[in-house]
Amino acid sequence: MSERPSPIALHKQLEAIWSTPPGLARLSSVNHTILGKRFMALALCFFGIGGLLSMLIRAQMATPDSAFLGPDIYNQVFTMHGTVMMFLFAIPMFEGFAIYMLPKMLGARDLAFPRLTAYGFWCYLFGGSILIVAMLAGVAPNGGWFMYTPLSSKPYTPGINADVWLLGITFVEISAVTAAVELFVTILKMRAPGMALSRMPLFAWYMLVTAGMMIIGFPPLILGSILLELERAFDLPFFDPTRGGDPLLWQHLFWLFGHPEVYIIFLPAAGALSTIIPVFAQRPILGYRAIIAAIVAMAFLSFGLWVHHMFTVGIPHLALAFFSAASALVAIPTAVQIFAWIGTLASGKPRWDIPMLYVAGFFIVFVIGGLTGVMLAMVPFNTQAHDSYFVVAHLHYVLVGGFVFPMLAAIYYWLPHISGRQSLYRLSIPAFWLILIGFNLTFFLMHLTGLMGMPRRISTYPSNWGWDWLNLLSSVGGFVLTMGFALVLADMVLQFRFGARFRRDPWRAGTLEWATATPPPSYNLASIPHIEARADQLQPALIGPTLAGGQGYLGFARAGEQETLGVNMVTGAVEHLITLPRRSYLPLSTALATASFFLALLFRLYWLAPIGALVTLGLFLVWPVSLGEKRDKGPIDIGRGVSVPPDAEAADNVTVLANRTALAMNATLFASLLFGGLFLLVVAPNWQDTGAAQVPLWAAALAILAAMSGAALAARARQGNARGGTTHLDLILAVLAQLAAMATTIAAVLWLDDPTGHAREAVPFVVLGYAGLHCGLGAVMSAHAFWRLTRGYISARRQTEMVLAALWNGYAAGAVILAFGLTGILAMGGAMP
Amino acid sequence: MTAMTAILSHPLVRLIAGFVVWSVAFVVLYAAQALGCAYGWGDWHRPILWLLFLLALVPMAWLALLGPRHDHQHALNMAAVWTNRAALLAAVLIFLPVTFASLCQ
Repeated sequence: MSERPSPIALHKQLEAIWSTPPGLARLSSVNHTILGKRFMALALCFFGIGGLLSMLIRAQMATPDSAFLGPDIYNQVFTMHGTVMMFLFAIPMFEGFAIYMLPKMLGARDLAFPRLTAYGFWCYLFGGSILIVAMLAGVAPNGGWFMYTPLSSKPYTPGINADVWLLGITFVEISAVTAAVELFVTILKMRAPGMALSRMPLFAWYMLVTAGMMIIGFPPLILGSILLELERAFDLPFFDPTRGGDPLLWQHLFWLFGHPEVYIIFLPAAGALSTIIPVFAQRPILGYRAIIAAIVAMAFLSFGLWVHHMFTVGIPHLALAFFSAASALVAIPTAVQIFAWIGTLASGKPRWDIPMLYVAGFFIVFVIGGLTGVMLAMVPFNTQAHDSYFVVAHLHYVLVGGFVFPMLAAIYYWLPHISGRQSLYRLSIPAFWLILIGFNLTFFLMHLTGLMGMPRRISTYPSNWGWDWLNLLSSVGGFVLTMGFALVLADMVLQFRFGARFRRDPWRAGTLEWATATPPPSYNLASIPHIEARADQLQPALIGPTLAGGQGYLGFARAGEQETLGVNMVTGAVEHLITLPRRSYLPLSTALATASFFLALLFRLYWLAPIGALVTLGLFLVWPVSLGEKRDKGPIDIGRGVSVPPDAEAADNVTVLANRTALAMNATLFASLLFGGLFLLVVAPNWQDTGAAQVPLWAAALAILAAMSGAALAARARQGNARGGTTHLDLILAVLAQLAAMATTIAAVLWLDDPTGHAREAVPFVVLGYAGLHCGLGAVMSAHAFWRLTRGYISARRQTEMVLAALWNGYAAGAVILAFGLTGILAMGGAMP
Repeated sequence: MTAMTAILSHPLVRLIAGFVVWSVAFVVLYAAQALGCAYGWGDWHRPILWLLFLLALVPMAWLALLGPRHDHQHALNMAAVWTNRAALLAAVLIFLPVTFASLCQ
């Protein structure tokens, strides 16, 4: 490392380490640039499918008494349109964008867990394919994209349509869950040295908050889907009011996810706007600190207004007032951001280019959507407009204004980064006007159609109700809009084919992604910079060549290892050297095993499902086999005269943080389950005089004692290992204790009465099952630590597996205590007169 | 208070502290409203909600009155000050209906 190679030689050395070979080996890629592009390309394919479905909807609604699609097909078409656009386009599109962009913007060479990125992509592809194949086979979901019960319950949707939604979407959401964890960890731990949180570009702040929201927001949806599938497959009555369930529980769980979801989609788009607008205003963003405060406020408030989707179900005035006030108040942090963007443009020297056209379109469309949102936050108006086309208009103004227009601005801004070529412009301007005019013609009129009383989801309407011309014009607008999108697609293809090449930073931007070559190499940056200013006010065109010459950190290739840096979460001080795993077919094979689990459930091959789950778990246990070190290395040179320990020897490394994050997400799911049980006890009908507890007290006490012993032993093993002691026996005893806890918990489940009889039995059935499963996982984690210990991968400094065993066993003990606690409360509550 | 101050020395914790308290208060107030209606708390219902409302405001007011820490994370510290003040404002406006709105109808 004493002699620095030439930039070309360094490029070749790093490319040999980081690149993915052509041919079938592409299936083994774990590189974030490749996977980010795959995510975005696939999301755009689904956007095309969703767009075609919208054309079918508008063809059907163009004229009264239309016989173009029958009601059965129409139900599938509008359900799939919403489902595809929300779950298969919007979420994966911004995930893919963040996966591609964040490491480059932060100065890292990849995400924290490259194989997890690949696994998430395959889950997205396979899960999305299940939905599309089902649609082609004529058995697509048909109960609306939010799948309300009892319509989607077994008696009213007896086919597999609803199962396709529940299982397919849950499969796809694995990609959202994995993306959330690794984006969260990457942003906090893998920035360029010196990039303190207070220097981080706003896009990274937006994505940090978005990842946090996904960690809290997605588990209620996943839980709701599991419970509804359990009801449909095994007749456990969570949503059946005749047996102690309540259809409103589904609405609570769905909208606990569903409303924050709007902001989860909007915030990444707002992050893109906060990056693009200062570049074209030619001045730093106004109100950096106020925007951070606004994002945090928006994230929390968005979780406090889910019931505004349920204003008409019969809720006391006080609860209505809570949610109405929160719904109106969330407009304030939104407005802070909008005024910051307007102020930035007003106080800068704006130059117009294609991305700015879409920024202007965003302002117009999103502000209208926001204002109708405040209207709908008011309970009396909401009651009138509920389930009408006014709501359809509002949600399209918010989602298209808040996501699609910024996405188009982002495509025109960052596509040159992907393609290495500049836009041709000839099609870009007519495409923008077609989209803006087509969109407003389609959806502005729907406000009027809705105010004239037209309900959403009807497949046709009579000709004498005054809706004819509005619907016809909306359909015309829809086709104009589609032409605009077709031109954008053509424009993108032409840019890749005929666009003029450029070197670096065509927009004179201030963020680090433009310091890479374009298209970017597989390793992003040949060396990692030290950041000494706010990371949205850099000079990438000057930094880029310096970094390409290897003058930053890690400006060399070492022993074929994929190396990047870990930093202090707050200060950005460099703390450890992260060695990332190389390409592998394990993510693909694990996703195939996961697919077998979901397909077995879909086709009711219940004997096959546990095998699929066990193979998936087994493959996950193979993932770390090739990782780790059998000796303590101590500080390692990273260039610029600095040496840091490897990641495995750092106490607070990315693996530990990721597991803490995953457990927080898991805890949210469990909390949602506990909430569901208590909700049914307090609110659902038919709970009086349903009997006393069935689970013996001694079984509960034994299970809790065993689980707490397992947790204490795993914690003692961790502490003993940190002191350099022998901990094999503690780990074996921890495994045995958790297995005992699992066996006792499962035995307690068997003591319950028939879980199909009443929710009082069904809820403990699931809660205790969850606790038993986590005791099993605790045992697996202790056994894994024991195995790694015997193989020499663990020492007093290399203690990651010991920390993970302690974490998961502690969580299992907590789950067992709460599960038996809820079981007792439900039993006592059911026995109350 | 020393332990609390130590926890709040982490800038990210300070950034979200006010709204974490707001979230807990939201859940507790909503749950108390539902429990009071389900189990017939009668005349005690509104005083209990009043009490919970005021209890929630105490830590939020304390957080809102904390000035910025003077270290190298100035931007983050100022954002935390504004976020905690926004949380207090949100609590007052959103929870105020416990003092007058119909509880169970």
